[in-house]
Amino acid sequence: MKKYAQLSTMLEALCSAKGVSGAENEAAVAVSEMLGRFMPVKTDALGSVTGRKEGKGPHILLDAHLDQIGLIVTAIDDSGFLKFAKCGGADRRVLAAAEVTVHGRENIFGVVTSTPPHLAKPDDATKALPFDEMAIDIGMKKEEAEKLVSLGDRVTFNGKYLPLLGNRVSSPSIDDRAGVAAVLRCLEILEEKGVDCNLSVMFSVQEETGGSGAQTSAFTAKADEAIAVDVSFASAPSVSSEKYASLGKGTMIGFAPSLDYKMSRTLESIAKRENIPYQPEVMGGKTGTNCDEIQVSGRGVRTALLSVPLRNMHTACEVCDLDDIENTARLMAEYITERSGGNA
Amino acid sequence: MLELIKELCSLPGISGREDSVRDFIIEKIKDHAEYSVDALGNLIVFKKGKKPAKNKVMLDAHMDEVGMIITGITSEGFLRFEKVGGINSKVIVGRSVKVGENAINGVVGIKPVHLVDKDKEDVIPSADELYIDIGAENREEAEKAVSLGDSVCFDSDFIEFGNGFVKAKALDDRVGCAILIEMIRSELEYDAWFSFSVQEEIGTRGAQTAAFGIAPDYAVVVETTTAADISGVSDEKRVCLCGNGGAVSFMDRSTVYDKTLFDRAFEIAKEKNIACQPKTLVAGGNDAGAIHKSRGGVRVLTVSVPCRYLHSPVCVIKYSDAEESLKLVTALAEEFATC
Repeated sequence: MKKYAQLSTMLEALCSAKGVSGAENEAAVAVSEMLGRFMPVKTDALGSVTGRKEGKGPHILLDAHLDQIGLIVTAIDDSGFLKFAKCGGADRRVLAAAEVTVHGRENIFGVVTSTPPHLAKPDDATKALPFDEMAIDIGMKKEEAEKLVSLGDRVTFNGKYLPLLGNRVSSPSIDDRAGVAAVLRCLEILEEKGVDCNLSVMFSVQEETGGSGAQTSAFTAKADEAIAVDVSFASAPSVSSEKYASLGKGTMIGFAPSLDYKMSRTLESIAKRENIPYQPEVMGGKTGTNCDEIQVSGRGVRTALLSVPLRNMHTACEVCDLDDIENTARLMAEYITERSGGNA
Repeated sequence: MLELIKELCSLPGISGREDSVRDFIIEKIKDHAEYSVDALGNLIVFKKGKKPAKNKVMLDAHMDEVGMIITGITSEGFLRFEKVGGINSKVIVGRSVKVGENAINGVVGIKPVHLVDKDKEDVIPSADELYIDIGAENREEAEKAVSLGDSVCFDSDFIEFGNGFVKAKALDDRVGCAILIEMIRSELEYDAWFSFSVQEEIGTRGAQTAAFGIAPDYAVVVETTTAADISGVSDEKRVCLCGNGGAVSFMDRSTVYDKTLFDRAFEIAKEKNIACQPKTLVAGGNDAGAIHKSRGGVRVLTVSVPCRYLHSPVCVIKYSDAEESLKLVTALAEEFATC
């Protein structure tokens, strides 16, 4: 891990700042400070954190989404348990007996209920409960709970930032704090190289609930072209290595009808030229990322997608390789350098 | 006792690998009692009371916790495992774990829900689909960090929350161990024998030999039992309630308890103003199942601290129930020593 000590520290800080879709404030404060080291920063109407640095060459927009998936409190029941709905694509298979934080008037520890064995139905071992049959236990009676929790409060999944072997780490919300980290690292590389470029950066809200943040922030940015950085599927015993990327084998360059073909190919040729490990990720239509919103914002923006391979997406133990984040940042920085006319 | 519970829960000790729990307990009790370790690893303790006991009373709590054991390493460096004790797969998928002697970090992986067919979004992976990811690039790298047979524990911190609640792994049955340690460290009225037993979770194997060795007349098993006082469960199905004191069993899947002792427990609790409650469901089993059949038979009782989400990384108890259970078990030990 020594190789990426700084990057790891940054990713850990990013992952520990919470921000479920529509309530990204804590994460927004953290990234504003980090982005502010490179350029003036604003927070727009929906809450996305944006930065602008004018310079040479085409106006390039870099995007990573700020929000993370979670839950939202829908009711406090008579026994003081909190009922919830998902906020973003939470996976109910991993919710039973999960540790959570309820972001109420203060941060409140809770655990998601799980069916006691004596009440288990025959298929209980193999079936996850529907969201509305689970609840959060915060160890309080209704009256106590009502003092601290309001309907609409967001809930995040507790999980530690854990170093694994090699350069790999596990944490909740690597989706898409890895993307945020890649963008920030790219800015650092550009600064070190002294590249004069024409950049907008947006850490956009509400990607996990449909991309409202990217759509609106991209409209404001009015960039000539855009690169979004997100996470995508890495192979594992249950995920085919023929179909999906390999962890640690490089950034994923998106190819899709909705992505700008020339940009994708340019990224690929730069990766080859600079010996930056990469893996093509080919999709048959839209991408399911902010690219889909950025592309059609305003009069349209040429858009590319880079993804960091990720295992266990949307669980409290997402796994990525820091090497892939670094390579994503390097490739972006080389692309920007080339488009802005080279080093200063 | 809260600090003691915290320290005990933090120790790794799946069935058959209770060493570090036993070492910790020995440190805590060695100046207060005589002890020995039997062939299976049970820690047997004799504590001299102020007076000799008329009957030999054994207090039992098990040291082991549920967890996993490494059974294989794939060519890609993922670890295959088997569960040790009764664990529902749904409480381990997407969780972090500690693997082996060096407690290296791992996570139990799952196919992202995005890649799962719509009609299978609620299907929990079957046991042989489960694996642990330690970040190894391949088998060779994994083999440097892990050996087959290594034990796996849940990665779950001790957390106090809500209105007097505690969350940790392994509260089943480290809270029982803590209660027994407190008794041994206090001054007892009568001589008493204690067993910190091994291998309860794989079939009460330790208690069987411990009871044979001690040869008690009476035994009290100090345990945790399922508390279903949670959202959506009707009153009659709640088994026992957090906050109402220790749960005393009249029958479970392994033992039909001595009705006289059961009744006597409630009388004593009433006399001494100790909170306790009946366990209202015939379910589960514990060391009493092995102990009551030992030698020519032993009269047994079980007192359990109510515990939500048993056998998961997030066992939850109300601390006051542990305190009330300590009082009740202490009173029962005195009663059975002289009755």
